[in-house]
Amino acid sequence: MRDDYTSELGHGLKWAYLLGIVGALLAPVFYVIYISFNEFGFGARIYVFTVDWYRVVLGDKMLVASLEWTIYLALAAVATAVPMGLLSAKLYKKTRYKVAIVTLMLAPLFVPADIMASSLLVFFRHLNGIFELIGEALGWAWLTHWFELGFFTALVGQILYTLPYAFVVILITMSRYHPQQTEAARSCGATAWQAFWHVEFPQIRAGVFSACAFVVILSFNEATRTALLKGGFDTFSNVLVSQMLNVGMSEESYAMAGIMSIGAMTVIGSILIYTLVRSERLEREARAKAEPVMST
Amino acid sequence: MSEDIATTVLQSAGGGRDVPASPSPWRRWLGENGLQKWAFYVPVIFLVLFFVLPMATTVVWSVFERTQFWMEPGFTFFAYENFFTSARAENYVYSMIHSAWAVVISFALGFPIAVFVRRRVPRAAQHRVILLFILPFMISELVRVFAMRPILGRYGVLNSLFMDIGLIDEPITAILFSPLGVVIGDVVSFLPFMVFAGFLAMEAVQPYVFEVCDDLGARTLRTFRDIIVPLAAPGIFAGGIFIFVNGLGVALVPIILGGPGAVNAGLIVNQAIVALDFPLAMAISTIMIATLVALLYIGHRLFDLTKILEPIN
Repeated sequence: MRDDYTSELGHGLKWAYLLGIVGALLAPVFYVIYISFNEFGFGARIYVFTVDWYRVVLGDKMLVASLEWTIYLALAAVATAVPMGLLSAKLYKKTRYKVAIVTLMLAPLFVPADIMASSLLVFFRHLNGIFELIGEALGWAWLTHWFELGFFTALVGQILYTLPYAFVVILITMSRYHPQQTEAARSCGATAWQAFWHVEFPQIRAGVFSACAFVVILSFNEATRTALLKGGFDTFSNVLVSQMLNVGMSEESYAMAGIMSIGAMTVIGSILIYTLVRSERLEREARAKAEPVMST
Repeated sequence: MSEDIATTVLQSAGGGRDVPASPSPWRRWLGENGLQKWAFYVPVIFLVLFFVLPMATTVVWSVFERTQFWMEPGFTFFAYENFFTSARAENYVYSMIHSAWAVVISFALGFPIAVFVRRRVPRAAQHRVILLFILPFMISELVRVFAMRPILGRYGVLNSLFMDIGLIDEPITAILFSPLGVVIGDVVSFLPFMVFAGFLAMEAVQPYVFEVCDDLGARTLRTFRDIIVPLAAPGIFAGGIFIFVNGLGVALVPIILGGPGAVNAGLIVNQAIVALDFPLAMAISTIMIATLVALLYIGHRLFDLTKILEPIN
């Protein structure tokens, strides 16, 4: 019988292939980061290390303002999408209509950004018109401008984009939780909230925090939906897209791409390392518990 | 069954606790059978309001009449006629072909990784290996696609490397700003998703299946073609659909890597919006959504896509 265990070379080659694909996906990003630290930018024969392009980006008031908007939007997305992901994961666990819920929750993943954004754009404009008509007819001025393009509409676009990811991450963590523990807590007199907060949440906390990190990164990276729905402000990725298309690939663009990549890699890298260290520790503890006690 | 017993036991164990006095209406309204119960439906309501409704009404807006800057109620198929009788329909078909290529390449590159991890990596370490693909997936698609320009360009890394080793004399110009560039961009953007979907799909292939194949002397290719692929088909199909639809609809890739001839549905929608032709944009969105629904329906009939959910359940 021929398999990887009898062929070390075959096994090694498969590992090399796997790591090669990860490397191939990451190499262009590292190359962009590498160029972003070159004083002479892309295509220069000499390489002089500098952080000046980053200083230029962070010294540009317009770019800093766009960065601020991006952060506000990311925080708002976390504050809304993660609780919604948690609620929908809990609903999924207790409902009989699992297929319907999961289909609805994951459906936005399968609609491309441009299609969803254009549909939302037209929907919001119509909704705004309808609300204005009602407001005028009833003399309620507060009804107007609810759905004018701006922070709220951009946030809706971002929630639609990030919610499926938050849902999946939390649901996977929840699959390891035994609902009997909640029942036991309730039987001991805890309210639903107490049972959730003191019994369930500590066990799914890692998933909820991972979902927060994912939503921040996804929100930070999102460009298409925000571009069509944001109204009068700019986000960091929107400025990058417009620079790339209008100015071309300047040294500043490389530095901006560098900021986005380094930020994402730091956050995700930290989560991965934390996850690996934690699971190693838990496994060690489990092994220690499982070891037979030797009589002396 | 055992859960039911546990529930009964636990409920009876709590039978001795004090019965609270009748709660105030305010507490009842906020309580478990009031607001708390309905809070779980907030995401569903949100998605119905801001996802299902806009997608459904896209069909309605597509038959509205175009005005100078907006549209007005009416019933006309002009936008569809405009789409099908222009080069847009041809571009749409071409972008479907390019997306199909991206699916095939992603499958060829990504699915064997999922099989390898499930088959050869110890179970405890499998998720950690798959986590490696999270990193490229979480870096902005914009940056990853943008990063392909200095790699694939006329004076890019690839051409320089080929020229340095004497493989070519002149830089290859057909890679960037061409449909090939778009296919490469789609693969780079969405390949991790094929690995994730494949990994999930391989949950359906039990380890003993491989042992049986080995014992019967089946060759690797035959095991892959006749056993693994049919069993993992729902997950493969879901991953394929995700790549296909996004390849068809994400305008960013052809904008950055495609030339004048590389257009996809997302880009056509963008162009229609810029030209303030909203009914046309909505008509193309409708066609795109119809394509997606048709593919999902076919996939469900062929492979029963609910099987993908089994690992989560």
